[in-house]
Amino acid sequence: MTSVPPQIPLKEEYGGDEINALVLDPGSHSIRAGFAGEDTPKSVVPTHYGVLSSGHHVYGENAIHIPNADMEIRNPYNTDGLVEDWDTAAKMWEYSITSRLTGARQTPPSRNGLNVVKDGEGDVEMETDETSKAKAETEKMEEEERDRALAEYPLLMTEPAWNPVKAREKTMEVAMEEWDVPAFFLAKTGQLAAYGNGKATALVVDVGHYNTSVTALWEGMVLRKSTTHSPLASSFLSDQIRRMFTTTTPPVPLTPYYLIASKIPVDAGHPASATYTNFSSPPSPSFRRFEEDRVLTAFKESVVSAWPGPGRLEANLEAVKLTPPRPFEMPDGWNNVFGAERYKVVEGLFDTKAAYPPPPSSTSSSSPSQSQYTPKSDDSIPSMIHRSVNACDVDARPALLGNIILTGAGSLIEKLPERLQSDVQAMFPNPRVRVIAAGGSVERKFGAWIGGSVLASLGTFHQMWISREEYAEFGAGLVERRCK
Amino acid sequence: MPPFRDDQIFIIAPGSETTLAQLGLPESFTPARYRLRSRMFRAEKAGEYEPIKIRRKEKAPPAPTPAPTAPVNGLAPAPNGAGSKPETTAPNDDDEWEEDRVSEEGAVWPIRGGKVVDWPCFYALMTHVYNYVNPPFHTPILLVSQPVWTPKEHEKVTQFFFEKFKVPAFTMVDSAMAASYAYGLTTATVVDVGLSKADITCISDSVLQDIGRSIAVPDCGGEAMTERLMELLNLRKGFTREVCEQLKKSNICEVLPSDFDIPTNDSVGGDAHSANPAAAASTGADGVPPGKRKQSVVADLPRGPGPNTQVGEEKKLEDEEGVLDIASIVTGGNMSEYLAQKEREKQEKAAARQAKKAGTAGAAAARIIRLPNNKRTRNTFVYEDFALHDAMKKAGMSNQNMADMQSAMDFDSSGGTGPNAAKRQKTPEPQSAVSDKPPPDAELLASPGSNGSGFRREIEVGPERFQAASGGILDRLADAIHRTIQSCIDVHRRSELWENLVVVGNGAKVRGFKEALVEVLMRKFLVSPSSATMFVSELPSRMSTPGGTGTSTPLPLSHHGGGGVNPLLLAATTAQNPGLLHPGGVSSSASASASGLLAPQQHPHSMHSSHAQTPTSIKLAKIPEYFPEWKEVGYEEAQFLGAQVAGRVLFVVDPAASGGAGGGGSKGYMSRTDYNEQGPGGVHEVCL
Repeated sequence: MTSVPPQIPLKEEYGGDEINALVLDPGSHSIRAGFAGEDTPKSVVPTHYGVLSSGHHVYGENAIHIPNADMEIRNPYNTDGLVEDWDTAAKMWEYSITSRLTGARQTPPSRNGLNVVKDGEGDVEMETDETSKAKAETEKMEEEERDRALAEYPLLMTEPAWNPVKAREKTMEVAMEEWDVPAFFLAKTGQLAAYGNGKATALVVDVGHYNTSVTALWEGMVLRKSTTHSPLASSFLSDQIRRMFTTTTPPVPLTPYYLIASKIPVDAGHPASATYTNFSSPPSPSFRRFEEDRVLTAFKESVVSAWPGPGRLEANLEAVKLTPPRPFEMPDGWNNVFGAERYKVVEGLFDTKAAYPPPPSSTSSSSPSQSQYTPKSDDSIPSMIHRSVNACDVDARPALLGNIILTGAGSLIEKLPERLQSDVQAMFPNPRVRVIAAGGSVERKFGAWIGGSVLASLGTFHQMWISREEYAEFGAGLVERRCK
Repeated sequence: MPPFRDDQIFIIAPGSETTLAQLGLPESFTPARYRLRSRMFRAEKAGEYEPIKIRRKEKAPPAPTPAPTAPVNGLAPAPNGAGSKPETTAPNDDDEWEEDRVSEEGAVWPIRGGKVVDWPCFYALMTHVYNYVNPPFHTPILLVSQPVWTPKEHEKVTQFFFEKFKVPAFTMVDSAMAASYAYGLTTATVVDVGLSKADITCISDSVLQDIGRSIAVPDCGGEAMTERLMELLNLRKGFTREVCEQLKKSNICEVLPSDFDIPTNDSVGGDAHSANPAAAASTGADGVPPGKRKQSVVADLPRGPGPNTQVGEEKKLEDEEGVLDIASIVTGGNMSEYLAQKEREKQEKAAARQAKKAGTAGAAAARIIRLPNNKRTRNTFVYEDFALHDAMKKAGMSNQNMADMQSAMDFDSSGGTGPNAAKRQKTPEPQSAVSDKPPPDAELLASPGSNGSGFRREIEVGPERFQAASGGILDRLADAIHRTIQSCIDVHRRSELWENLVVVGNGAKVRGFKEALVEVLMRKFLVSPSSATMFVSELPSRMSTPGGTGTSTPLPLSHHGGGGVNPLLLAATTAQNPGLLHPGGVSSSASASASGLLAPQQHPHSMHSSHAQTPTSIKLAKIPEYFPEWKEVGYEEAQFLGAQVAGRVLFVVDPAASGGAGGGGSKGYMSRTDYNEQGPGGVHEVCL
C-alpha cells in the first residue's frame, strides 16, 4: 500500500494564471486574513493575546477566554493604532494565516507526542537503519512543507495612513524574511475601503478600535496631507459607557460572564441576585477588562445609539425623552432601561464637550482600567472631516464631500451615519454632502479587507507587487517608493 | 438523466476516533454501514501502514498452528476488513506473524482534534476505507470535512482523492453544514462534541459563518469527561483510563441537572472513602441556584440496595476484587495461581449460591421493580479488558490459556453472580459497555470467549458516574457557544440561532449531556424580559424582536444569498422539512437574487440596528424523525445523515430537471474534467 502523496501538478498543467494571493488586514482589535477574491475574510482572530506566567503566549479565541489566574491579556498595538511589540505582532499575523488558511505550522507527528509507542516492555519499535532513514526523510518533507506554508502566496497587507516609514519597512522585512513570501504589497486601509465601495475618489471615515481616521482619496491616490486620526473610536466609546455606568446613581454593576455561575431574574434596577464563580486565585485585571468588553460590545449592539440629528443632543433633550428607552440585562441579572444615556455615550464622538469626563483621580485608583483621556475639541469626527477637507484642493472638495464613505466596525453604532450626514451637512452647507455607509455589517466591519481582496484579484494589480528578487536587490526602502 | 445513481454514491466521514463510510444510498437513510476505527498500524516497511496490528509471535507453536488461526479466521464478518486485503500476511503462510484484531497498541491515529496530524497515515486510512468498501469504478465520493481543515488542506485532500482513486466526481461537505441538512434547518447553531474538541458553528440562511466560528475548542470533548472520571476515581485501585473510557460509554454514566441530588448511600460502609471525596468535589453542588428552579426531584429518594440484600453482598465482593489489575498478574507469571484461586472461589460461590437460592428466591422476586440509574448509589457495567488481552498475547499465551482465563472471568460476571447478574442484564439500563463499535465489530465483541474479544468483567461504580461532565466542560462549552453566537455577523439571526441548537457528536452521547448543556446555557445567559419595559407601550414589539418569527427580518443581502448556497441543496433541504422553516426563509431563498437586489434599498442603514439583547430563549432543535433506523441509534452522528441528504441532492438530483435554479453554477461537485481544468483549487467552488 503506497501512501506517498501524489505529485502536485504544476501550475501550467491546469492552466491557471490567476495568482491566489493572501490579504492580511491587521488591526488593533482583530486581524483579518483571507484569500483574495473571496467576499469575506475566512480568518478573523482577536489581536489580544494571553501571556502565561511562564512567558508563553497564547493566541486565538479558544485560548484567551479561559479564566486563568496566571494569564495576562495584552495587545501588541499602542493606542495610536501602531504596532509596538513587533515580535508578537508578527507571530499573531502568521497565526491568523496559518491557523485557518494554509494549515498551521505543526510539530511533525513523529515528534508531537501523540503517536508515541506507549508500552515499555512489549512491541517496542525497533529503530532499524531503514526506519530512521525514512523518518528523517519524512521529517525533512514536513519541514519543507511548513516553510512553504506562507512562501506560496503573494501577500497584500494593509496599514494605517499614518504608519511611519520605519514600521512600513519593518512590515516588509517580516513578510520577506520571516515568511519568505514571493511577492508583497502594502496598501492603506482608507484606500482599500474606498475600493471595496467601488470609489476611487472619496473621503473615507474609518471608525476603528483605538482610532478613527479620515483619509481623502483622489483618483485612487491618498492625499497624504489630508489624513487625520484621533482616538475617538470604539475603545473611547467603551470608556464612555464605563464612565456612564459609574456616574449613574446607583452605579451600574459591570460583571463579566466568567464570574457568574448562575443568575436569577430580578426586577429592573434591583440589585443582582446571582451565584458567583469562586476562584481560588482570580484572573488578572487585564483579563477582567477584556471580558468586560464583551459585555460592552453587547451593550453597544443592542442599546447604544447616536442621536440622529439634526442638531446636537443637548439641544434635543425634549425629543430624546419621547423616544422609548431600551432595556439591557447584565450577565449577573441586573437590568434596567437606558433612555437619554444611550445617546449620550456616543455624543462625545461628535461633540467632545458632551463626553463624560474621566473619573476623578481618587476613584480611578479603584478602577485603574479606565483611561484618563479627555478628548480635545479638535478630535471629534466632524472637526476631523473639516480639517481634512480644508487641507485638500478647493476643486476636489465637492467630489470628496459627495463621497464620504463610512466604514469600520465602530461605525455600526445605530444612527451614526445619519448623524454624520447631518453634522457634515451643517458644516458644509453649499456642496452636496452624501455619507455612504454599506448596508450590511460585513461590508463595514471588513471594509478594508474586502477592498484588498478586490485589489489583489485584479489582473492589473499583478504589475505592482514587489517581488522577492526586487527586495533582495533594493532592500526594504523599496516600500516607500512603490507602495504609495 | 442524472449523472449518478443512488447506489453509486460513496460517503466517507473521517473523525478523530471513528471513520464512517457507506456505499450507496438506501431508500430510507440508515446510519453508516461501515464504522472503522481511525487508526492504522505501522507496517514493517517504513512509511507504510496496515489496518490491523500484526505482531510477531514470541515462540512459534510446535504444531503447525491450527489453534491460533482457526478462531481468527472464524470471525464471520471480518470486522476490520483485512480478510480481503492482499497485503496482510496470511497467518498460514508465515508462522512468525499473527494478526491481532483487538489490540490497538501502538496504533497511529492520523486525526487528532479533527486535524490531520499525520498525512501519510491519513492517506493510508483513506485508502484502507476505500479498499475495504471496494466501490465499483463509477463512484463519486462525498467527504465530510472537519471544520478545522484549512482551505489549503481541502485542496490537498481533493488532490489525493482524484489522483489516487481516479474518482469520477468528488465533493466535500463541512461537518456542521451536514448536521444542519440532517435537521432540515437553514439557520442553526451546530455544536459538535467530538473526542477531544468541540466545534461550534453558526449557520445563517444556509451560509456557514466562518467569522466567529469556534473551531476545535480544546478540552470540550468526550476525552475530557474520561479524564474527569479518572481524576475522580483515581482513589480506587485499578481504574485505568480504559476502564473510565468504557464507564463513560456505558449506560450508567449520566450527566444530571445541577440541582439534582446525587444519590448517596452511607450504609455501605466499605467504600465510603471512595465515594465521598469525589462527591464533595463535584460541581453538581457548586452550581445550584439558591432555592430557585428546583425541578420536581423526588424528595426522599428510595435508597440503593442495602447491605443485607443479596445485591449488597455481591457488590462488596466485587468491590474488593472487581477491578484489580489482572493484566499485571498475568505478566507477572502468576496466572496459574490466579486461575486456581478463581476456581476455588467459583466452587465456594456455587455452594453458597445453592445454599442461598432457597432463602433468597422470595426476596429477589420482591425486588423486581428496579430503580432508575440516577436514584441508585451504585451501579455496575461490563468492562472489556483489552489490556489483559494484550498482555496475554504478548506473553505468548496459547489460546487455550486465554480460554481458561475467560472462563475464570466469566465466573466474575455472569457465572459467579448467578441469578443476580442475569437479572441485572435485564434491568432498564442495558449493561453493555460496548457502545461505539460498529455493528459488525459489536457482533464480534459481543461474542464471548477468546476469539479475539477482550475479557469481560463487571465493575461497580459509585456516584462518580454522575460527574463525568463536572470538570468545567459544560461551562467551557457554554461560554464558547455564547461567544460564537454573539459574534455572528448576522445580528438579526441571533435569536433564531439560540433557538436552534443542534448538539451532535459522540461526545454528547453521554446520557443527559445535552439537557445539562442547555441548562447551563439558560442559567448563565438567558435574558429575562425586563420588568421595566412592561409598561413602555410605545416600544413596538417588532422593533425589539425581529428574529423571533422572521416576519420582520430583513431579507439577506445579495452576496449572502448568492455566495455559498447551492440553490438545489437549499431547495431540497428545506422541502424536506417545511414545518420547521419560517415563511421568511422560504421566500428569501426562492427569490434570493431578486430580493438581494431590493434589500439594501429597503434597509439602507439599519441592518444591524433594531434588535434587542439575545438570548431570550434557548432551545434544542428537533430533528425530523423520518428514518426509523436513525431514530433507534440516536442522532449523534446526524452529520452522516446530512451527508446522505447532500449526496443525493448533489450527485443524483438532475440539475436540469429541477428548473436549473442556478444554471451551470449550481453544480455541487467537482468532476474529473473540472479537476483537470482547475486543479485542486477548484474544490472551493463546490465544497460546502
